[in-house]
Amino acid sequence: MEALQMSKGRLQHDTGVESRNDEKPSGMSTDITRRTFLHKSLLAGAAVAGGSALNFFDTLTTMGVAYGAESFSFAWVSDTHLYPKSVNTRFVEKATRAFKEVAAMGQKLDFMIFGGDLAQLGDPVEIALGAELLKEVKIKKYFIPGEHDWYLDMGATWNKHFGASPWKFDHKGVRFIGLDTVGNCPDYWSARKMSAKERMAHMSVLDGSVAGAWSGLGKKQLGWLQSALSDWDKSKPVIVFTHTPLYEYYPPWNFWVRDWREAQEILKPFKNVTNVHGHVHQPLYHEAGNMRFIGQLATSWPWPYAPEGVPPETKAMVRGDPGDPFDAVGWGNVSFANNRVDQKYMMWRKEVFATADVDSGTGDNRNQKLNPRIADRMWPY
Amino acid sequence: MKTKKMQYALAVGASLCGLLLVLAVKQAAAHKEPHDAATLKAFEEAFMEQVVIGDNLFHGDAATEKKMGVTLSKTGMACAMCHPYASDTHPHEFPKFQEQMSEFATLRDMINWCIEKPNEGVKIDPNSAAMKALEAYIYWSNRGSVLDTGRH
Repeated sequence: MEALQMSKGRLQHDTGVESRNDEKPSGMSTDITRRTFLHKSLLAGAAVAGGSALNFFDTLTTMGVAYGAESFSFAWVSDTHLYPKSVNTRFVEKATRAFKEVAAMGQKLDFMIFGGDLAQLGDPVEIALGAELLKEVKIKKYFIPGEHDWYLDMGATWNKHFGASPWKFDHKGVRFIGLDTVGNCPDYWSARKMSAKERMAHMSVLDGSVAGAWSGLGKKQLGWLQSALSDWDKSKPVIVFTHTPLYEYYPPWNFWVRDWREAQEILKPFKNVTNVHGHVHQPLYHEAGNMRFIGQLATSWPWPYAPEGVPPETKAMVRGDPGDPFDAVGWGNVSFANNRVDQKYMMWRKEVFATADVDSGTGDNRNQKLNPRIADRMWPY
Repeated sequence: MKTKKMQYALAVGASLCGLLLVLAVKQAAAHKEPHDAATLKAFEEAFMEQVVIGDNLFHGDAATEKKMGVTLSKTGMACAMCHPYASDTHPHEFPKFQEQMSEFATLRDMINWCIEKPNEGVKIDPNSAAMKALEAYIYWSNRGSVLDTGRH
């Protein structure tokens, strides 16, 4: 078992008040409702990292982070990138494996968050396939979209299946918030008279430049975020789920949210904030003030670490074996135990983190220099 | 409108003929005369044309694949899905012993391995135009990398 101590907990408490917090921004809809209970919580001083609360696999890697309220665990699954079965069953098999593993944990998990990019090309067939596979998981499920789910029909199919974002709920002393970081892209398609498929095709290319800085929250959602936290004690923990990271990692691949500064400004007064995000298909860890950021694996395939901007706090994952579709992918188990949060990468291999540069996803790129592509700058519009 | 299109086609044709003529003349007298700016530009254009083709192939452009007569993937996966900006292709490390193949390999060998294994496509002729274009794109994307041949 490998462990990384990432932050420290803080001492705090609140009163045992039953509350209901299911709000949505005006003009936005959400189907999420959840009765919640606020409990007394006592957060310890220095968190001690290491050890698995669940012992799901002997090979799990644990990253201990800050604080906690009451002990509980939840699962994060994202980036399944499903194609229709007629095109590719490989991604279906991997998503199925993740969902079965989550289901097998039964009541050990309080809920599951699906963090976006269920589909590859936003095809209603892909999204319906994902919805069908997700039925395997019987515990409460929450959803935020990825860009691959969105730009064929601007989120219509996604919202029909899974409801709109943003949303919030309180669970065992933690306020959870789900944001939409993909649906506020400046219009790159109308002036170029792109078809819906062309719009989606550009959005689906990570290193493409046509869709530009598509990841953002927008003013309306930032206002909602401010409002959603206005009644929350600043000493109590907040977990924010996003598809793309709420900080600047590598903008050319939209490994960021373009208005991350405004988002962080809203979150800054809170003493324990954790942003759990997908999109990067790789373990990542970053800290900024009272905020910490955890990047999750994909079930579909691993992205390489970006050529620059990898947070120094990150311990890089191992180099994956491209010959093994089940390598360097998986899902995340986030647990609150002994007043701290453990992030476990449920990667389907023995070692998650490299011990030597030669086996590391970042160390391996010594002497590599990369340059942006060219063909997408010659788009015929 | 048609006249304009014809004029455009004629202009493009004339430019291409000019480029070919320049390159043909240069072939006959390679390095025997100083290179002027126009010649260097022609060389660069000949290279970048291949880079663009390779970029399109690398990103799964169906029309380019069809034009080149290749099937680089049958899974919906494109090379760029694992290698944005052609990262982790490490052209500067080849040739080397390649673990997946358990043999000494060139970049072209590795490209074909990726086509056949992860992408489940159809292996291409190592000397084909498609292979050269892919190679051009990968090297171009990695320009500035430090040569580190043989490194795992």
